[in-house]
Amino acid sequence: MNPLIELQDMTRRFLLPQGELTVLDQVSFTAYEGEFIAIVGPSGAGKSTLLRIMNGLLPPSSGKILYQGKPQRGINYETAMVFQNFGLLPWLTVAQNVELGLEARTKDAALRMKTVSHYINKVGLEGYEEAYPRELSGGMKQRVGLARALAVEPAILLMDEPFSSLDVLTSINLRNELIDIWNDRDNVVNTMVMVTHNIEEAIELADRVLVLSSRPGRIAGDLRIDLPRPRQKRDRAFLEYVDRVFSLLA
Amino acid sequence: MTTASSSLPEIGISQILGLLELLQGKGGREDIYKLAGELSMELGETLSVIKAAELLSLVHTPGGDVVVEDFGTRVLEASIPERKELLATKIGELPVFKSVREFLDSKDDGEVTREEVLDKLAELIPNEDAESSFTALVNWGRYAEIFGYNDDTQTFYRP
Repeated sequence: MNPLIELQDMTRRFLLPQGELTVLDQVSFTAYEGEFIAIVGPSGAGKSTLLRIMNGLLPPSSGKILYQGKPQRGINYETAMVFQNFGLLPWLTVAQNVELGLEARTKDAALRMKTVSHYINKVGLEGYEEAYPRELSGGMKQRVGLARALAVEPAILLMDEPFSSLDVLTSINLRNELIDIWNDRDNVVNTMVMVTHNIEEAIELADRVLVLSSRPGRIAGDLRIDLPRPRQKRDRAFLEYVDRVFSLLA
Repeated sequence: MTTASSSLPEIGISQILGLLELLQGKGGREDIYKLAGELSMELGETLSVIKAAELLSLVHTPGGDVVVEDFGTRVLEASIPERKELLATKIGELPVFKSVREFLDSKDDGEVTREEVLDKLAELIPNEDAESSFTALVNWGRYAEIFGYNDDTQTFYRP
């Protein structure tokens, strides 16, 4: 597998009125092409900060980030983000929200509309093009968030607690559909990095689970999840992975 | 439950699919009471999701259990766009959606107002508050592409 993003001894500090706060400390790992990585850790472990550094929204305080072997500087347009609270603009329709990320990439309006329509179809949202976010259920809002991220055809999808604002049944459905999207060779993206505080969710979805310790966040474990999909939470092997992650967090 | 006067539960399509996927992981059958406990959902809320799935012929409910129907299995095995097509056909067969679509088709300009649809719902589901079925009508109707709805002008239109 080819390395896509490599973090080498990456540390991130924030300057607060009461002094300097180290949120991430000497974090090193490599995300390989085609992998589904879940990052778990307690609140305040720096999980969301880590995603924003991978996306280039935040620079590291020290250490290196390489993208396809070259130093990453500024925003990495080969990544796209999916947010916990969807990040939709309420005054725009579904189609306009999906189109948003494309406007900076192409001036060709017809091509943009074709792409929007393609990804709206991919996530099962046709018929909702003219709807506003206020009219949508949480599940449909997150489908818009997914379609918007997929529409820019990123190499890596970065997801920050994408299911934690959803009710339990909707999150079951979207987790399954995310795996379908990941497996769909028709989609450009084939590498996913998801932050979650839900250990079962991480083991259900990911090839690898990175465990972050509490602040400052350090890599406390890097587990390969060697289970066939779809994974059943009641299986003994699944529960053993849950125990291993818990013991790394403890 | 599938009669002309059935109200529409305010349940999203994703929740219905989530229920099916959960049941699939349990061999296609589960006790309703146990399911509600496992999901940490109110029994009434769980029943609303099951009712919605039953309206779409995805499950049936013999003796306190919920069981995935063959049609539910077909939906589970389909891709995201194929699922949409299968469910759209079933939604289109529900009397309330047929009536609203016929109402739209009867108009020369192919448009009706929100108020007109609420009046229609009051006729179709006389014992229920029409407003309570309105959100589900719009959501399911959009999903199945039976009609479009513009919230700015509060009008329904043929897609």
